[in-house]
Amino acid sequence: MAAPVIELNNLKVQLGRREILLGISCRLGVSGSGKAIGLLGPNGAGKSTLIQTLLGFHQPLSGSARVLGFDCHRNMRAVRERIGYMPESDSFIANMTAVQFLRLMGELSGLPRETALEKAHEVLFHVGLGEARYRTLGTYSLGMKQMAKLAQAIVHGPELVILDEPTNGLDPAARQRMLKLVREMKEQHGMNVVLCSHLLRDVEEVCDEVVIMKNGLVVHHADLEAERRSNKRFVELEVTGDDRELDRVLHEAGADGVSEGGGRWRIVLPQDFELAALWKLLAAGGLHVRKLTHRRDTLEEIFLKAVGHIQHTPGEAAAAEGQEVGVHGGL
Amino acid sequence: MAVYKRGYQRYQGPVTGHAMRLLAMPRYAWERLMQQRLMIVMLALSCIWPLLCAVFIYISNHTELWSGLGGGVSKMLEINGQFFLIFMNTQATFSVMLAAMAGPGLIAPDLANNALPLYFSRPLTRFDYVLARLTTLVGMLSLVTWVPGLALFFMQVGMAQSGWFGKNWDLGLGILAGFLMWILIVSLVALASSAYVKWKLIAGALILGFFFILAGVAAMINGVFRVDWGSLINPSKAMYSVWCWLMGVETPRGMDVSSCVGVLVGLVFLLGMVLERKLRPVEVIS
Repeated sequence: MAAPVIELNNLKVQLGRREILLGISCRLGVSGSGKAIGLLGPNGAGKSTLIQTLLGFHQPLSGSARVLGFDCHRNMRAVRERIGYMPESDSFIANMTAVQFLRLMGELSGLPRETALEKAHEVLFHVGLGEARYRTLGTYSLGMKQMAKLAQAIVHGPELVILDEPTNGLDPAARQRMLKLVREMKEQHGMNVVLCSHLLRDVEEVCDEVVIMKNGLVVHHADLEAERRSNKRFVELEVTGDDRELDRVLHEAGADGVSEGGGRWRIVLPQDFELAALWKLLAAGGLHVRKLTHRRDTLEEIFLKAVGHIQHTPGEAAAAEGQEVGVHGGL
Repeated sequence: MAVYKRGYQRYQGPVTGHAMRLLAMPRYAWERLMQQRLMIVMLALSCIWPLLCAVFIYISNHTELWSGLGGGVSKMLEINGQFFLIFMNTQATFSVMLAAMAGPGLIAPDLANNALPLYFSRPLTRFDYVLARLTTLVGMLSLVTWVPGLALFFMQVGMAQSGWFGKNWDLGLGILAGFLMWILIVSLVALASSAYVKWKLIAGALILGFFFILAGVAAMINGVFRVDWGSLINPSKAMYSVWCWLMGVETPRGMDVSSCVGVLVGLVFLLGMVLERKLRPVEVIS
């Protein structure tokens, strides 16, 4: 059985006198599966400390952290041989050209000299810095530096790539390119990716699994795809005409609806319910649709619920109301 | 196929050993140092004194060149511990200047550009990093210290009569051991200064200042308190005493060799502490 990408067992980390990670336990991803894990949380949640502990920068106070089956503290070298890390802040060697920089980084990761040079060129073209590869890194723009940081993280072909805020400071086009590269890394090259970001849309676009941290604890851990599936789909509807029968009709079709008065309805659709079927039902009932909003819970809503800013996601709220309708037979 | 057409492929071939990875850092650093014109000039200047010493050894071993000059000259031209001590002193000065030029560029830019997380996220420990940086300096300083020193020693062995090596073999060992201790100290001072100050120029000044200021403070202590032990805080003087002992020359007054060794070991420990404290992949504010 393949080892999990990250396995935390009651991990506690203390920096100075302050305990940052308060005993985290979880298993994330499967090694070699080419999946991305999103690491989310408000500032000070402990995301960076967790990443740095996985890299062996901090010693756990108690518990253990394993990456690809290796203990981060005891087998630090084995772990570091298998990962690529893109730090959040500017990190480079200013007076080196991009090719020299990547060649050195490749050699330090264990690539033979000639291979390191070849891979340096290859990866620089891959991230779109091919034409600028003989320029010193100090002359690069912020976006180019981000790409160079990504390049050094993957030059040696690691099994796991840890990306800390990879889209920081990128314009929309560069952001899309970065996300495309991250998707390619997992889908085409089979790398596992850990993506730490404040930008929920980035995580939503790229990740298959998500961990939400708050105050040094994991407050939510979910398979993002499963989470999306499990969120009941709901529709906000506004109709004109006699809608008194709509509740019964919806119930017969397997959906639950709540009338909010004035022709406004909130309807929770079952998983396999096609939206076209709803249109047909409404047309058959002689109702004219003025507005129909069809949506799912976003990652932002899941995140806000996990960190305690809202009590229920809109999907959950609608589902709860739908159940209430089922029990009381309408409002 | 051209690289730009090939696209990125994950490397899955064999990887090099730990020693090869470590040596990559000094190799790159030497490459960059040798691109600096000032460094080349300084290295060339450092070779002048060994060349003059080589001429001196040649003359001292060709009696026909100075046979008419009398017995006093014969004594003056003798190749002994004192001769190598003078050679070592001169080269030590050059080694400090070279370290002041090369040392700051080794760690300070990594700190200024936050490059340490990139090194330490690879299979390298902090000890490995320091070892690699130390190798860069030790390798370069070796070129102007024990390498020419031993070359002169063996030149003398080759030119002198057969009995000379039997009587003076310990000088060769003294040159090697003495210089290795010195370049370790100088390199650690250079690395610690480079780690302490992020600006190269200031780090260079700090390296020079370390040796000159401590020498001044030592002289001040000796003068004010009318003592000799003040010189113990001057690492150059402490090292000189150890060299005197290694070369079989009388040590300076008030400088016990064991105390000097103790001071130097303490200094190495202190410099190691500075490096341990400053070279961290991430800064933790407690």
